[in-house]
Amino acid sequence: MTLAEKTIAYEREELLTGCQAVAQAVRLADVDVIAAYPIRPYTEVMDNLSRIIADGQLDAEYIVADSEHSQFEIVKHASSVGARAFAGSSGTGWMYGFEALVVTATDRLPVLFLVGNRALDDPGAFGVEHNDALAIRDMGWLLCWATTAQEALEHVLIGYRVAEDPRVRMPMALALDGAFLTHSQHMVRVPAAETVRRFLPPFDLGDRRLHPDNPISIAPQVNEDWVMELRRQNWEAARRARRVIEQAYREFNELFGERYGTPFFDEYMTDDAEVVLVGLGTVAMPARTAVRRLREHGHRVGYVNLRWFRPFPGPELRASLARFRAVGVIDRDFAHGSPDDGGVLLHEVRSCLYPLPERPQVLNFLTGLGGRDISIDDVTSMYEQTLAAGRGRALEPAVRWIGVREEAARGVPEERRP
Amino acid sequence: MIKRVEINYRGIYQKTLARRIGSDLVLIASRLGKVAFSNGRYSDAPERDGIPCKYFVFVSPDLPEEELEAECGAKLDIDVADVSIVLDDTMVKGVEPWAWHGVRPINEKVSADGCLLVVTRREPTQLLAFIAAKPHPYRLATLEGDASLSGLWVFKDDLTHERVLGAVAAVDPGIVTIDAVADYLADEGREPRRAEAARTAHAATVQRIRPVAPDAGISWTYAIPELPAWDAFGEGVAVPGVERRSELGPGGQARNAGFPRGTTKTERPVVRFDLCTRCTLCWLECPDGCFDPTADEYYDVAYAYCTGCGKCAAVCPVKECIVMVDELRFEDTASPWAAYRRDPAAYLAWAEGKKGPERRSYAHITGTGVEVRPAPAVRARRTRKEVATR
Ligand code: SF4
Ligand code: SF4
Repeated sequence: MTLAEKTIAYEREELLTGCQAVAQAVRLADVDVIAAYPIRPYTEVMDNLSRIIADGQLDAEYIVADSEHSQFEIVKHASSVGARAFAGSSGTGWMYGFEALVVTATDRLPVLFLVGNRALDDPGAFGVEHNDALAIRDMGWLLCWATTAQEALEHVLIGYRVAEDPRVRMPMALALDGAFLTHSQHMVRVPAAETVRRFLPPFDLGDRRLHPDNPISIAPQVNEDWVMELRRQNWEAARRARRVIEQAYREFNELFGERYGTPFFDEYMTDDAEVVLVGLGTVAMPARTAVRRLREHGHRVGYVNLRWFRPFPGPELRASLARFRAVGVIDRDFAHGSPDDGGVLLHEVRSCLYPLPERPQVLNFLTGLGGRDISIDDVTSMYEQTLAAGRGRALEPAVRWIGVREEAARGVPEERRP
Repeated sequence: MIKRVEINYRGIYQKTLARRIGSDLVLIASRLGKVAFSNGRYSDAPERDGIPCKYFVFVSPDLPEEELEAECGAKLDIDVADVSIVLDDTMVKGVEPWAWHGVRPINEKVSADGCLLVVTRREPTQLLAFIAAKPHPYRLATLEGDASLSGLWVFKDDLTHERVLGAVAAVDPGIVTIDAVADYLADEGREPRRAEAARTAHAATVQRIRPVAPDAGISWTYAIPELPAWDAFGEGVAVPGVERRSELGPGGQARNAGFPRGTTKTERPVVRFDLCTRCTLCWLECPDGCFDPTADEYYDVAYAYCTGCGKCAAVCPVKECIVMVDELRFEDTASPWAAYRRDPAAYLAWAEGKKGPERRSYAHITGTGVEVRPAPAVRARRTRKEVATR
């Protein structure tokens, strides 16, 4: 008898937004300390958690902080005394707490943060853009995107499981596309608490737990004689995380049914594909729909939905993408002044492909910034351009804007033209 | 096949109501074995008091969830609606939720043979006097009732929610059926009056659906702003300020024409200039700077910019001098002071006619009701200055 046969995986179905699904998962994870400070679209998570606690469904300390910086410091400290801790933010709020985010990673404290992706100010805007979460990509964090409310709920559980593993102990950022995922209501299957307990053991920080009975000092001042070795430790932890993630998905699938094929990314209709697009987040919906429609017209296209950005699945993604003639990378972010002026994901994917003796053509699409819609037609156009590149046509420019208001640059000074 | 429903509601005041209607339509459709989800027009947020906002529901009997999501989910607004619900009839004058959006017709998204479903006590012809003509036929249904306005965290449980669900089943049973609505509302030990309210509203609405012919309605006077290409405006998120101008008389104060916000109001202030003591309070206190001082020391109202907050009426020290009146009693936003100057007697008669025989006052706790009293009669008065100039 397998584990799954002995347990009820999901106990009921509820209508939940992405934010509410995350709040339900925090309840199921039996989190001990929650620090809150509002910024939309994350705010609905803290609203729902306060209600869940008030309704007696979760026994947790709920601390309203005076800013994101304090909010993130509170959960960092809570984690250091052995509490399972949760916080979240969005956009510039997340950036405001950046110092605390950096030290949480260097102190190797496995707090889970929800990032409701939001465009960075200025201008003040609410829509999704991925630069907020991506800002911690080099800081020793786990970073992962969910594409549905169901996945959001499940990745809070998977996230704690991976982050708290003694081989990892890194903070985890779970990113959800603002508005399109955080604020859309869908039917979500809520896992049974008993099954969650089997999947997610209690948090145990071992001999690093700050306690009067375990006198330790965390983060003393050190100089040139220590820093590099500490960096090397964290580098190893990030490397070990890959195997821990694979193991977590294996056990999740065992308990909850075959929910996830591959842990780091999902492939859709790629078996005989000539070209694929790669993207993060909700763009997967129009992208997969475009794939189905293009295939009806005989185009061999597929979609790769990247889930884990840190650790980046280098060898796995390299092996996968090596099969295609061209790869179109969708960036819902920007990296102004970077090589070829492409987006963040472009550089990760291209560098991942570099060791291949024969590399696919790589195009980059900057799109959907600040919450701009990415329509099925937009994605279809990206596929058409990628197909042409795969056949050696129209390779330049490598980086293209989709969905920006363009018109002939009449009367615009030469130096300001693209 | 996809059914698209939009719920036009007043920001803050009807947020909880709209969201409940949206959630319940999804849950009821799911019980009918359909795939459904709902979301809001995110740019409407954070909502301001009374700003017109939208909530959406998408239902499909045959598409997988992902396809439905791809078609409808990650979008700012919908292209067409099978049913456009209007929770407050004053929105038939048009909706302007945010800057650079323009004042859009309330039926902008209604598809051919789709239905505009308005909660109102008015007749369809009265509504059509404000609604833009469409090139194709559609249906207009009315559900008798008042705009159910309450607070951000307050849900006014006055059965509007149940009645709207019943009315949706009446105008488009392809979304939900009345039996499914009633079954759902009878669930979990809820009082029988809830399902009954939905059934009664359903039966009444079936009788109150009328076809609207192509070109029936008004020609839309508001231009839809065209947004510039990326290289056609200045850099650095710097926006030119509103040109400074302060002259006496109607429209004398410079205002931001890019976002007048007039569609926010459900009521507007009617001023009895003959009673005005020129105390300046309305001019000082209006949060939106809607009063234009005039050469004869009155304060004209720029109605296109008035959000209907009622503050001027609250601070005016003179009884019956400023009274808030239902927005649908007005055809335009012309200067009231100019009308008064042209013909004082006609203006006063007009103002009293608009004010009507009743005065409504709202409780301090939102959602707890409104008090209706007979209007006090105040005789016309003439200021000394005017007497002197005659
Ligand atoms: S109701 Fe009065 S105070 Fe409020 S915006 Fe209109 S004119 Fe100004
Ligand atoms: S508050 Fe009333 S009395 Fe005072 S200036 Fe305004 S309209 Fe006149």
